[in-house]
Amino acid sequence: MSNTIATDSLFSSEERDALYMLVGMIVPASATYGVPGADDEVIFADILDSARANEGQIRKGIDYGMSCGLGGDLSLEQLQSELEGHPTMTPVVSLVMQCYYRDDRVMASLQMEPRAPFPKGFEVPEGDWSMLDAVQKRGKIWRDA
Amino acid sequence: MTADIDFSPVDVLIVGAGASGATAAWNLTETKMRIVCLEQGGWTNPADYPTTGRDWETRAQSDFSINPNRRQQPGDYPVNDDESPIKIANYNGVGGGTVLYAGHYPRFHPSDFKVKSLDGVADDWPIDYGDLEPFYAENDRVTGVSGLAGDPAYPAKQSLMPPLPMGKSGQKLAEGFNQLGWHWWPSDSAIATQPYNGRDQCINLGACISGCAQGAKASTDITYWPEALRAGVELRAWCRVKEINVGEDGLASGVTYFDEEGVEQFQPAHIVIMACNGVGTPRILLNSVSEQFPNGLANSSGLVGKNLMLHPYASIQGVFDQELDGYRGPHDSIWSQEFYETGVARDFVRGFTYETTRGRGAVATAVSGAHTGRIPWGTGHHDAYRKLFNRIAGMVAICEDLPEEHNTVTLDPNIKDARGIAAPKMTYSISENSQKMLDFAVARAEEALRAAGATDIMIESPLTGGGWHLMGTARMGVDPKKSVVNEWGRSHDVKNLFIVDGSVFVTSAGVNPTRTIQTLALYITDQIKKRLTHLFD
Repeated sequence: MSNTIATDSLFSSEERDALYMLVGMIVPASATYGVPGADDEVIFADILDSARANEGQIRKGIDYGMSCGLGGDLSLEQLQSELEGHPTMTPVVSLVMQCYYRDDRVMASLQMEPRAPFPKGFEVPEGDWSMLDAVQKRGKIWRDA
Repeated sequence: MTADIDFSPVDVLIVGAGASGATAAWNLTETKMRIVCLEQGGWTNPADYPTTGRDWETRAQSDFSINPNRRQQPGDYPVNDDESPIKIANYNGVGGGTVLYAGHYPRFHPSDFKVKSLDGVADDWPIDYGDLEPFYAENDRVTGVSGLAGDPAYPAKQSLMPPLPMGKSGQKLAEGFNQLGWHWWPSDSAIATQPYNGRDQCINLGACISGCAQGAKASTDITYWPEALRAGVELRAWCRVKEINVGEDGLASGVTYFDEEGVEQFQPAHIVIMACNGVGTPRILLNSVSEQFPNGLANSSGLVGKNLMLHPYASIQGVFDQELDGYRGPHDSIWSQEFYETGVARDFVRGFTYETTRGRGAVATAVSGAHTGRIPWGTGHHDAYRKLFNRIAGMVAICEDLPEEHNTVTLDPNIKDARGIAAPKMTYSISENSQKMLDFAVARAEEALRAAGATDIMIESPLTGGGWHLMGTARMGVDPKKSVVNEWGRSHDVKNLFIVDGSVFVTSAGVNPTRTIQTLALYITDQIKKRLTHLFD
């Protein structure tokens, strides 16, 4: 069950618990990569907060999940087979990904600096322009008009 | 404030402060005429662009989305695109579409102006590449274009700044093109690779299409507009035009608009120039109904809003085994025009440009991977994600769309904007020729990606969100029965009404249109300057 305390929550406690279970099912923690799951306290708080922008669609996803037994006795495998790929899950998956992949710990595991692109920017190698020699040898390819 | 505004007649009234409106305003300043521009949106502060925050990928899909129906900012108006497989993309504010474009900046080719003569389809333009060449060069100078001279797909043209870096992605794709013996070249880009005219150089933020916080990308709010404002042009933001008014003499007398407070105003003018893009311009013309013009202004041909061209896009992306640029670097890198000109062995006429793409952000990789089934839920998520992250590169094919009268912009009978003005409706279908071109482009791109080493291919054709090139809905021509404006942009019907945006395109070419839109704006306003003494004859 989520430890997140939401005093201004969009969702009922049942809905929040269902969403908590759902996001952990979508992206679980990984010891291999040393990353938390989407049900991590910080990430889940971000998910709850960000859900406001698309509340209706997220609620539909939760409702569908609950109708399939989310929060009930079904195994994770059974639930996943019911829910994964269902159209109502699309907004939920997008929400989870946008919050999960901006978490400092997740970004660090991908060798990304946990920062906005601006103002530091990024390095991009120039590339080997001598590869153009073959193109130049062909000569003009545009059509006279 | 309204109280400070001078509503006495102006010499020139420009509607729209985007790519073409800014360019037109700038080019007319030397006449010392009184010029006013009305813009329905506002100025965008670069500090507000998404790349200044950690949530940049989310904001690129919300308040900085390319789709106005999703963005729903105060400057936007709704567009009914339910009857089009390609959805609207635009930006409404000072700078217009250039605020959110990628800056991919090719010119048209000489053959693009002679489609009927060369290939027997559509119509020739009444002007040609030679007519526009000096204006291309002038626009390049103001805009600041990076690239590399010597592209064998084009007549000789200058390059003002070195090209953007190829990066790992561009080089990988170039390897594939070279294996197949295909053309490729560094893309001409409206992105500064050196400090240029007060703008700083690109620092590879990687999100050009949600606005450039660095100011390296040449959006007209930071190129043409500062110079035009210094020269005395008055730009009124947050002013939404309702209609163009006409006098008893049949000339445009000015425009009626809603100011920022929603108060209806009338601004009289001697010359009206429309610069609202291929959807916005026909919308206003069709909303400008009077006894003299019951079917909309400048519409005696019946062609206002018809012949909408969108450039069907296909996206073809490959997954590679090694790390590429991913989220780093501008979208632009290299292009291929191997299949640009008509090929006799193909089952379609005309052609397309491949615009390569460097990669995706961390979130976009996850979302697309999950939605296409490449990244599963559960324990397999992390391994699958890491096989895609920073390992995707590919291209989009920009296919030439030919004009067809059944592809239209009309007024929606039910939807209105925040000021109660009828919204536009796009009705569009992809032609058989375009569909064959898309299919061919996808198949050839897959070959190139495989040659470059891609192990998996991801295809979206047509690219449903890619309706950013809006063209053809007030076409140029010498015959008033077959066109809306003449060969120098003046309405056949209303002799003090000009159109300078993509509406006037006769055909669409197979390239991004902004460079040609701005070049045409220079050409048309140059014609106005040369003909001032007998402009309304």
